[in-house]
Amino acid sequence: MTSSGQDPAATASSEAPPAPAPGSARNPRPAAEATALRKTFGPRVAVDSVDLALSPGRIYGLLGPNGAGKTTLIRLLTGLARPTSGRATLLGVTLPDRAVLARVGYMTQADGVYGDLSVGENISFYGAMYGVRDAAQLRQALELVELADRTDSPVESLSGGMRRRLSLACALVHRPAVVFLDEPTVGVDPVLRAQFWQHFHELAAAGTTLVVSSHVMDEADRCDELILMREGRILATGSAASLRARAGRDDFEDAFLVLATPAGRAAEDDR
Amino acid sequence: MNAGRVLAIARRIAEGVRRDRRSLGLVLVVPILVLALLGWVIRGQSSLSTRLGVAHGAGPAETAAASAITGLARAAGDQVVDVGADEASARAALRADQADVAIVLPADLAQAARGGQVDLLVITPGISPGDDGARLAALQTVLVDGLRQLATLPTSGGGPPPSVQLHHATVYGSPDADLLDAFAPALIGFFGFFFVFILTGISFLRERVGGTLERLLATPVRRSEIVAGYSLGFGLFAALQVVIILAFALASLSVPALGPLPPFTIGLGISNAGSPLLAFLMILLMAVGSVNLAIFLSTFARTELQVVQFIPVVIVPQALLAGIFWSIDALPGPLQPLARLMPLTYAIDGLRQVLIKGAGLEAGAVQLDLAVLVALALGLVVLAASTIRREIA
Repeated sequence: MTSSGQDPAATASSEAPPAPAPGSARNPRPAAEATALRKTFGPRVAVDSVDLALSPGRIYGLLGPNGAGKTTLIRLLTGLARPTSGRATLLGVTLPDRAVLARVGYMTQADGVYGDLSVGENISFYGAMYGVRDAAQLRQALELVELADRTDSPVESLSGGMRRRLSLACALVHRPAVVFLDEPTVGVDPVLRAQFWQHFHELAAAGTTLVVSSHVMDEADRCDELILMREGRILATGSAASLRARAGRDDFEDAFLVLATPAGRAAEDDR
Repeated sequence: MNAGRVLAIARRIAEGVRRDRRSLGLVLVVPILVLALLGWVIRGQSSLSTRLGVAHGAGPAETAAASAITGLARAAGDQVVDVGADEASARAALRADQADVAIVLPADLAQAARGGQVDLLVITPGISPGDDGARLAALQTVLVDGLRQLATLPTSGGGPPPSVQLHHATVYGSPDADLLDAFAPALIGFFGFFFVFILTGISFLRERVGGTLERLLATPVRRSEIVAGYSLGFGLFAALQVVIILAFALASLSVPALGPLPPFTIGLGISNAGSPLLAFLMILLMAVGSVNLAIFLSTFARTELQVVQFIPVVIVPQALLAGIFWSIDALPGPLQPLARLMPLTYAIDGLRQVLIKGAGLEAGAVQLDLAVLVALALGLVVLAASTIRREIA
């Protein structure tokens, strides 16, 4: 993970653990890259001056308050939204690109599953969209989220947590190289949340790049690297430990407040 | 009952409707628009050009009566054509589309007049009941005067004027065809359009609102694949629906009395001259257009209620303009191009050609209807696909 010095607040990333430079042996190519990414909706700036390079096999925590631009950034990084200016690449392909989506998983904030279909029909449907027809692979996706025994259950009859699990399975069914998870643990109980994070680490160990957005700061420690966002800009990047040290706070939530506040004012002064 | 709570509920509803401009428009503006359209269509009817022929024998009485009628028809703006001397030649002329209306005089008019009663046969094509009705109504004025002259012809022998009896017959459709036979093809087309439109509109709206479309677009699926999948999926149900409607409309199954149940008939037994398969194909093509129009319009709805609100805006004008009640040529001039843009117009015309007239694929009118239905379906597919963007926000 590297961050350019364009954003004054992002210079903190120099204290982050040594990030491999693009093109190095360990990191031949970033999984996702953003250059001066900017997205506006009318007068509102949703994402501004974002420079990112995400290395393969790592878990990135995209943290920030509601309305910070996390979802818009994810949509830009998947090519679902077209940037107003700047450039985003995914697995070396400039976005937007339809074909590269076959190697990308996206768990949306809304469950995005069909309530009138069964669990099995939903996974088959998304599998078909990604070109996965192998029954064993479909079943494996459900086993991962412990829904294999609920294949025939209509989604309407599932609890909120089960739907969240199914939604995760649908994002992983095609074994993507990069996975974007938009607040995957909202409304998920602590036991299930621990399971989710265990899956995420297993995926990362297998080489998958994960971007997990959250506004729950206590999930920060579970990520390899953090991207702190506020008002569309990246405030700081680095590991949870390095950011805590920089802010001089033990509690990450306090650290976030310290890091966020001056930059927030600066951003407002800019306008 | 707590008045405060009642008022709070009423205020919430009023506020909600007030902010939903579309619903407000539906309640206040759309009834006026629909009524205005209806008024325009009825009052602003263009006069249909009528080609009238009188089939009559060569006798002096017949010739005199015929020239009396054609003279009045000419004065009323009708074009007079030759339809031969008897009913057979008149029917042939109508079938060959050389005339719109034929009046057949009795073979021996003088004798009939002496007998006290003259039977006049008026023959129309019977494909579009609206057209026939309008032409007959216009003829009425012509004929009333013509018949009065007829009654005072010297051939009546100075006796009391004969009573004149009008008989209406059609070239197509069975002799005992009723209003249902004439309207059934149009209504089959209408239902085929209507239900598919509503089903697709609500289904696609759910896809947009429920977040599954966003999710779907995050897969490598092509827009054209989504549109084709929807067309196929709902087209299948449209096909099933059309099979059932066609079967019910065309079949006539007599069920004998069973115990206390009286005997009854299942199906309308609509007379059907043409190929049900061809009719089926036309409705299916129209349904593909309907699916894609619904996908396109669902972009402009945020709630299921707003999809239902498309009924008075999209469905009702088609019901008024597509030729169910009035033919396109009879519509007020400015509305005619609009009617020619509607898929339903061509489906209804095609269904009438096939079911009533018995026209097949070789008929020019059927080919035109099919070609336009295909073109409209393709155009709407492109339109629908253009509204599904990877970038929704």
